[in-house]
Amino acid sequence: MSAPILQLVAVERHFESAGQRLRALGPVDLELQRGEFVAIMGPSGAGKSTLLGLAGALEHPDGGAVFLDGQNLVALRGEQLAALRRRHVGYVFQDLNLVDGLTALENTRLPLELDGAVRRDADPIALAALERVGLAALAHRFPAELSGGERQRVAIARAFVGPRELLLADEPTGALDSLSGETVMRHLRAACDSGKSALLVTHDARHAAWADRVLHLVDGRFALDAERIRGR
Amino acid sequence: MHTAHGPPMSVRHSLLALLAEEPRHGYGLKSNFERSTAGTWPLNVGQVYTTLARLERDGLAEPTAPTEQGPGARQSWRITDLGRAALAQWFEAPVALDPPARDELAIKVLLAIAADVDSVGPILVRQRAAALLRMAELTRAKAKADPARELPWVLVLDALLLKLDAEVRWLDLVAARLAARGPA
Repeated sequence: MSAPILQLVAVERHFESAGQRLRALGPVDLELQRGEFVAIMGPSGAGKSTLLGLAGALEHPDGGAVFLDGQNLVALRGEQLAALRRRHVGYVFQDLNLVDGLTALENTRLPLELDGAVRRDADPIALAALERVGLAALAHRFPAELSGGERQRVAIARAFVGPRELLLADEPTGALDSLSGETVMRHLRAACDSGKSALLVTHDARHAAWADRVLHLVDGRFALDAERIRGR
Repeated sequence: MHTAHGPPMSVRHSLLALLAEEPRHGYGLKSNFERSTAGTWPLNVGQVYTTLARLERDGLAEPTAPTEQGPGARQSWRITDLGRAALAQWFEAPVALDPPARDELAIKVLLAIAADVDSVGPILVRQRAAALLRMAELTRAKAKADPARELPWVLVLDALLLKLDAEVRWLDLVAARLAARGPA
């Protein structure tokens, strides 16, 4: 088996509040294998979004190490870190994922362009990513011309565009109706079945049920829970 | 609105609904019921014949005349006007929501709280894990199903998943309320 795409080792995060040091998360360990889909549930304030931020190097841990594709993110700074993130990680939030003035295709190819690709090379790759979420036909529409579910599928396409292989999602289906939410989960599942990896934060057990594992975060630590829920 | 006879899930009305489409014999009723409900609630043939006898007694269905059948054919049944009226009433009335069905999980949790509030946490965790495992199984079944060709099955899976989802939410709420209450 190849190295995990993501590995968190004894990761901790604290916050200062009124001169007091409060533990927001950890220490926690987490391994995400390639092709694996892990859901994180837990009450508000349990540290779910903090965990996601640390996993994607949007914030730094106060202790422990985060390995993305075998490289310790804690040791990287500035442009090195940004480049690694850009090449490997896509984010999907509840909303505001897309740039309004760009079409679905332009949004999807953005990470490739930021990484130095020219449009001629980036377009077919971005189109293939849209195709995988069933949206190739809507490639030239602007976000305002897409439904909420379609916008989230574009965000998934962009998160996995080209070589990018890790998706970090924070309540991506939170604003969607049941059927649109399910469609988004079907595409996320299909992406992981084809070798991509995803870490999903959700309050919705119906969406977590699409994952390979569900972890329950309570007061910054993983509680014993439904560890592996899919037979693989 | 309530039926005096029959099990809680109305086999009576289900059979009437199938007879309203066309006259059918006992085995045809059983197999059609199971197909319409994607095999989720198996029905035994004895239950079908007992129910048909009750429907006949109450004037809601009747055996078809022997002249309408070929030689050696099985006995068929058809719906009466009274049966159609009862069926229409069943479709029009919302399913009775009160009194609530007995809920073993709720009773278990409430009794555990009454006996020893500290014993509740592990019960919640185990039940939550079991519910999520079951939800994952059902979701795998849904992932394989084709909603266009297997609509009844997908709708059954939706219903089962939403009930388990409600259970998980309730367990989380119990945990949150116990935590908010502070140590005993």
